[in-house]
Amino acid sequence: MTANRTARPSSDESLNFIEHLARRFTLRQFIFAITLTFFLVSILFPFYWMVSSSFKTYAEIGGREPVYIPSALRMEAYQELFDPSNPSYQRFGINILNTIKISIPTALVAVMLSVLGAYAVTRLRFRGRDLMLNSILLVYLFPGILLIIPLFAMLSQIGAQVGFEVRDNLAVLMFTYLAQTLPVALYMLANYFRTIPHEIEQAALIDGCTRLSVIWRIIVPLAVPALVSVFIYTFMIAWNEYLYAYVFLNERTMFTMPIAIDRIFNDPQPRPHVVMAASTIATLPVIALFLALERYLAEGLAAGGVKG
Amino acid sequence: MAVSTEKLAAPKQRKGYSIQAQEARLAWFLLAPTALIVFGVVLFPAIFSVWISFRDVGLKELGAVLQSEFIGLDNYRAAINDFAFKFQSLESWGAAVTSVVYSVVATVVTMLVGLLAALVLNRRFRARGLARAVFLFPYIAPIVSVAFVWRWILDPRPSGVLNDILMGVGLIDLPRAYLAQRGLALALVIVFTAWRYFPFAMLMLLARLQAIDATLYEAADVDGAGEWGKFWNVTIPELRYVLGSLFLLRLIWTFNKFDDIWLLTGGGFGTNVLPVLTYQFSFKMNNFGKGAANAMILLLILVVFLVLYLVVMRRGDED
Repeated sequence: MTANRTARPSSDESLNFIEHLARRFTLRQFIFAITLTFFLVSILFPFYWMVSSSFKTYAEIGGREPVYIPSALRMEAYQELFDPSNPSYQRFGINILNTIKISIPTALVAVMLSVLGAYAVTRLRFRGRDLMLNSILLVYLFPGILLIIPLFAMLSQIGAQVGFEVRDNLAVLMFTYLAQTLPVALYMLANYFRTIPHEIEQAALIDGCTRLSVIWRIIVPLAVPALVSVFIYTFMIAWNEYLYAYVFLNERTMFTMPIAIDRIFNDPQPRPHVVMAASTIATLPVIALFLALERYLAEGLAAGGVKG
Repeated sequence: MAVSTEKLAAPKQRKGYSIQAQEARLAWFLLAPTALIVFGVVLFPAIFSVWISFRDVGLKELGAVLQSEFIGLDNYRAAINDFAFKFQSLESWGAAVTSVVYSVVATVVTMLVGLLAALVLNRRFRARGLARAVFLFPYIAPIVSVAFVWRWILDPRPSGVLNDILMGVGLIDLPRAYLAQRGLALALVIVFTAWRYFPFAMLMLLARLQAIDATLYEAADVDGAGEWGKFWNVTIPELRYVLGSLFLLRLIWTFNKFDDIWLLTGGGFGTNVLPVLTYQFSFKMNNFGKGAANAMILLLILVVFLVLYLVVMRRGDED
């Protein structure tokens, strides 16, 4: 490789472009560039297609040939989602709100509970700890579709007794998301807590701090990056979740975004630009959040072996 | 939900409890909410599902499921003998065979793409951090959004992007319905799965690649190994354990996955897998007992996978 690099192109005028390239780059660099380009194009094109299609008109979307670049940023699709005066107004605002209403509390509760759990697992000795950890990880094994039938039957029994509705109940849905995310959250945080030295908290305990104030004053501030990644991870799961929301939500005003998008997609009159506009709205916040906090998350994802 | 401080501090002053007992009580107290949720929403329903699979539970009985009739293995028989479940012919595989083929092939392809991506990102180049973030997009975006974009790209009308490109290049004369063709539909679902889930494999492999001791490569250089030799004799052996656990994890999750196939093809055109079939039994035919039995069969196949894997891994370790 070094031999190729040092052979600088001479000032020879007859050197053509290909030869120039060949001297400048090695074969390895060429293969590398092709592979990287292939990845970037195949990843980014669907996202480009989603965003650009959302700005097309019905005429552009239904034409004989695809329109690769929309003629202008037309808001036709977005008007259908948000403008009450539009004939096929979708009331998408309420779906956005529902998604926020379920994903932020899920993420906050998951962070809180997993901090407590991870502290217990890494700092306290008790019998049955390993059994507990292993049985919690069993969640990984069970398919969501297997759990949904008994959950539905079980919750409608309890609901009939206690007096709550299983369907269209965002709180019920939240518990299913917590169950899906808590094991990983616990695992990620426990891995992180193990790297925090015990000396500081032992000093605090001797000074008479309670365990709970140790968690709050010492562990939490030291574990901020891990807490952020747990928050984002659970937030994304709740934000994106499809199957449970699909089965548990029936009322259009209770739909989260994924279910609302599914409903628009399956409308008898297909309007792909509206589907793409709604998809864009559902996707952009997750991507933005991810880019803003990517530094924390990539490590957290790898450490916890996040389910997906 | 709020835990009062006094409650936690109380056992400390109380005499007669050893430190260990106090710690254990506190530990269970801290773990209780998590344990309750996981037990209540996962482990108990899983056990309950076994019970339902032996009962005659339809939509009407769902309100009074505990009074439903015990019917032995009837649900299992009904599920296994269903034409959508059973292998009929090479043209019509049935959900059981399709599930196994789909998850094994998709897992292997996902891992190969993930390995390639990890190798690309393991080199130093400008904006590598940004590239790594972009590589994760398919994995973090909502499944509904990406599945529908793909369907829109694969649209059967001439205005579909793939149709337009392939017709422009002259590979096909007439627009095709890619997701409505047996074989091709399954292949595309596998491609989609690899596209969506390779970032997970990539992240885990990249973390391991960056931890490989550089002296191993230097030693290989001294021995006169080429790029290929270094890849086979240093990189792959170093990745062996990560590749092993990745394979198992991805296989389990792909086998259990409902959303991807449901949203892309609805389980039609030779892509029906066991999770989608379970949904159809339960919520389209309203036969929850049959659905539960189908889900139990799914779980059984999964356990067979696990045992096979453990046996193979143990053999590998003895060598």
